[in-house]
Amino acid sequence: MARQSVVIRLAGESGEGVISSGDILTQAAARGGYWTQTFRTYPAEIKGGPCMYQVRMGQERIHSHGKDVDLLVVFNQEGWDLHWDSLADDGVILYDATSVEIPADFQSRARPVRMEQLAKEIGGSSRAKNMVAVGSVCGVIAFDTTPIEELVLRRYAHKEGVADANIAALQAGKDESADLKGSLEITHPVESEEDRVLMSGNQAIALGAIAAGLEYFGGYPITPASDILEWLSAKLPATGGITVQCEDEIASLASVIGASYAGKKSATATSGPGLSLMSELLGYAGTAEIPCVIIDAQRGGPSTGLPTKTEQSDLNHALYGGHGEAPRVVIAPTSVEDCFWATVDAFNYAERFQVPVIVLTDQGLATRMEVIAKPDLSKVEQWPRKTAKDANGEYKRYELGGDDISPMGIPGEEGGQYVATGIEHDELGHPAYTPHNHVLMQNKRWNKLEPLKNGAARHVQIGDAQPEIAIVGFGSTFGAVREAVERAQADGLSVGAFYPRVLGPFPAGKVAEFTAKAKHVLVPEVNFTGQLARLIKAETTGIDLESKAKCDGLPFTAEDIHDMITEAAR
Amino acid sequence: MSTAPATRKPNDYKSDLKPIWCPGCGDFGVLASLYRAFAQMNLDPVNTVVVSGIGCSSRLPGFVSTYGVHTLHGRALPVAMGVKLANPELTVVAVGGDGDGFAIGAGHFPHAARRNVDITYLVMDNEIYGLTKGQVSPTSLTDQKAPSTPWGNLETPLNTLGFAIASGATFVARGASFNTKTLTELIVQAVEHKGFSYIDAMSPCVMFNNHQEEWKELVTDVAPDHDSADKVAAFDLALKGGFKLGILYRELRPTLGDKYDALLERTPDSDAAAMLDAFSARKGVAIGKPVA
Repeated sequence: MARQSVVIRLAGESGEGVISSGDILTQAAARGGYWTQTFRTYPAEIKGGPCMYQVRMGQERIHSHGKDVDLLVVFNQEGWDLHWDSLADDGVILYDATSVEIPADFQSRARPVRMEQLAKEIGGSSRAKNMVAVGSVCGVIAFDTTPIEELVLRRYAHKEGVADANIAALQAGKDESADLKGSLEITHPVESEEDRVLMSGNQAIALGAIAAGLEYFGGYPITPASDILEWLSAKLPATGGITVQCEDEIASLASVIGASYAGKKSATATSGPGLSLMSELLGYAGTAEIPCVIIDAQRGGPSTGLPTKTEQSDLNHALYGGHGEAPRVVIAPTSVEDCFWATVDAFNYAERFQVPVIVLTDQGLATRMEVIAKPDLSKVEQWPRKTAKDANGEYKRYELGGDDISPMGIPGEEGGQYVATGIEHDELGHPAYTPHNHVLMQNKRWNKLEPLKNGAARHVQIGDAQPEIAIVGFGSTFGAVREAVERAQADGLSVGAFYPRVLGPFPAGKVAEFTAKAKHVLVPEVNFTGQLARLIKAETTGIDLESKAKCDGLPFTAEDIHDMITEAAR
Repeated sequence: MSTAPATRKPNDYKSDLKPIWCPGCGDFGVLASLYRAFAQMNLDPVNTVVVSGIGCSSRLPGFVSTYGVHTLHGRALPVAMGVKLANPELTVVAVGGDGDGFAIGAGHFPHAARRNVDITYLVMDNEIYGLTKGQVSPTSLTDQKAPSTPWGNLETPLNTLGFAIASGATFVARGASFNTKTLTELIVQAVEHKGFSYIDAMSPCVMFNNHQEEWKELVTDVAPDHDSADKVAAFDLALKGGFKLGILYRELRPTLGDKYDALLERTPDSDAAAMLDAFSARKGVAIGKPVA
């Protein structure tokens, strides 16, 4: 019987075609009308070290990367040694014929593939090894290779011989696994006219930023956020905006603040170490009330940590980082699709509330490729900033009262002159240290964010509205949770999940309402200390939650979450 | 459109805040020179931004009626770059002290210079930390006794003029707070210069490092036959030290803004819709490359 979805894992040495094979499969699957999601691990070094690329594809929307491997493709012995225990009970193995030995108990479902040999015979070099590997996979899952051939022809449109060699390698690979043909046959997708796109979280963020009206981007290379700097450097000038690769993360955010002061929508992107360096400026932007967007693609910490692994351990830093108490907004997208929309929201919150906004993704979400519904650009709103021309009568940059959002003069704007400063200031922006004034200004800076607590922010809720088993999480874990909740509901359990997209200011009332009837409140997150669990405890009363924090550098699978739910239900 | 007078006076650039500096502080002379230079150029306050870091001298934007950004310690230059790149029509002048610019902020200086961002950086150099009450700075003399160096400064002072030339600044000059005529002229030339202009303005701290009388004795003008286009001669002048007031070095090189203008000019227009289309799952993207 054909399967609804399959999990394919490619494993081997970095630099020998694992990643390119995974990319080809992913793109071909997307082109063939399948929903897909990928998951990669790779070493922090440029060349060498074990790497892994997992592709899950299916006819229905895929929300998580899957757990048990249906088809394991190993390029070297280490690939086998590291991954054999992830195989499903009926999982199939394809392995490089010359470098891998498979134990006897697995041989009935394993087939050697002459990756290197066939590539050399056909193309004269081992370069087409990846195509042989991809071909062997296509045979097993009964995947029509036409989309791959089309892609190859496009890629090598000007190099006829190369295209032919690649297609020949693909077919030769398919022949290699001929006797397993269709053993993991996947259900063909229903023809759909729906527009879909294939992209990573980082790409969705970069596109979201452009759709939101980004005009200036300052950044500094750091794993796993560099893609955003690179992609925007290539694309932003086409919209009239510019990117600058700065000398460090401090200069990145400083230049962003400068550009925003001058009236441009501005952003930077970094990871934990960069966010640490930006902390002082984050406080500045909060105090001087200068809009800016900071993308934090979290990675394993602390310190240099695990640069190529995932973690959700910057939540505390995003919420509280920096001295004093400076307001900021923290928003955590829940999927690749939401990376786009959360970034649009981030710019709108920044501009409307004149505040720094941190978008928290992580390595898993930032680098995974996902087929998503094409974002509908007609739904993108661009909220304007209140400027000096919006002042009532006398212009006061930090005017008190009303909604606490005061008019921000933009250089070039008549009568809007003021000095932005991190020193405590009065309504005119003049330094002012009186106790009374400080109280007024702290109230102003924090109170203006109240609407985000009370309805202006969009959150995500699935399953029962007030379930017995309630899951509260944030960010990238949502896909696995969504899948697990759907399965547990099908099991007949009362279960649901609430994902605050805006974590600061924290929607305590909504969390309390959601968990009101819960016998179990589970809080899964990828960090050591249970940062969200602590946040919920600090912001609410009477919720007896169970922290499910883990810090192995890997994302949760739907099975992990389903196990948690099942255990709670017992 | 400005409604201000067509010809502005130095007083037109005064804000309603009074400087908080100690009586006799060199920074008064620098501020007076800045007002005069702005008036001489008739800068529109609405299109002028003065950016500073933290320190006594960095309070200067508050005393000027233009737009201003009083940033963090050491961060005037990257903020100023952001302002200028965001709106090239603006005149952007960054100001600050020697500690701000050459200790905590030193990591930004060579990059602003080599990028040739079209801004002016005016450093009020008193060779001391004034606001924190007299500790040595990167430009303090060796053996100088100060609260944090009771045994005498063990370090060698930084030659900021040489640093500026080596970093690729396209306008390098020295002025002094007690010679406002020359300093005013230098500021005018620096602001009118297309590119990154650096002025080291000797500006004595009367409280903690008062070299005023000594400096007044020592300063002379840069020799009239000095060729400011000659980088080697400029280095020579900078490295010899001394107290030469005037322009040491000047060259014209495309600014970072010019480079971006050219980049934008040659980049075909596109928008989010077209970019999103390139990710279409149906169309697919070229194999062998990550999606770009």
